[in-house]
Amino acid sequence: MKTHLIKTVSKIALVLVPAMTLSLTATAHDPKLHVKKAEKADCSKMDHSKMDMKDPVAIAMMKKCMKQDDKSKDKMDHSKMDHSKMKTTEQKTKKKDGDNEHNH
Amino acid sequence: MLGDFLFKGKQMKIIKLLSLLIALVIGTAATVMYSGAVDVAADEPHSDLVYWLLEKTRENSIKKASQGIEVPDLSDPELLLTGGTDYEFMCSSCHLKPGQRESDMSLGLYPVPPNLSLPPESHESQEHGDAVQGDRKNFWVIKHGIKASGMPAWGKTHDDQRIWAMVAFIKRLPTLTPEQYQILTAID
Repeated sequence: MKTHLIKTVSKIALVLVPAMTLSLTATAHDPKLHVKKAEKADCSKMDHSKMDMKDPVAIAMMKKCMKQDDKSKDKMDHSKMDHSKMKTTEQKTKKKDGDNEHNH
Repeated sequence: MLGDFLFKGKQMKIIKLLSLLIALVIGTAATVMYSGAVDVAADEPHSDLVYWLLEKTRENSIKKASQGIEVPDLSDPELLLTGGTDYEFMCSSCHLKPGQRESDMSLGLYPVPPNLSLPPESHESQEHGDAVQGDRKNFWVIKHGIKASGMPAWGKTHDDQRIWAMVAFIKRLPTLTPEQYQILTAID
């Protein structure tokens, strides 16, 4: 009975192992290769010393990086913040202290 | 009288021979078409003769069709930015980018799409002519595409200005480093 079971298992393994190996090689191709991500310009790699500022490529790169820089600055624009409506750290601490007193 | 009869006999013979020839050509073509003997698989290359015939037909057709196209000034840096982004998303998967040697598409398509990150002289079986003719050819191919080659007609969805921007970018592509390419083609 046992030998029969071992034989069956080894037969299944004989079929399964090559089948799995083959299927693995079929899916080995990295799916990431098919994904197109919208990347931001990596301006840190720009070497200004080697750039000819009359060359359209250099001008275009500068334009792109300046535009990107401006956009990231716009995102951090604090000028429209209304500071008068914001609680200071002092006010917050006082309130906390008051809460503590009340609890006592 | 006898001469007329002989002349008519000769004419009939020629007509019969021509008819036989035409029937033979049509018969052979039909046999080839309907037998399924022609291998259309993209991983099975054409014979040298068929490849040469198709290539010559294609190159001469593009040359003739693009002859009269007026090339605008392509030196505006703004064209590189518009064209760069479009190239990255529409062309680079087949025509590659600096530092890339192959892709799924470049390996799988037949005929093999030219690697546009290399100088035009190194493109196999492509006739570019001078720089202006090269620009004309690129514009025409991008706009109209090429039948049964995998090259789409982008002119159906993109205006001429945008196609010229791609031509301007492709013109500078072989001179770009991977870093320059990344900056020019990135999304704002």
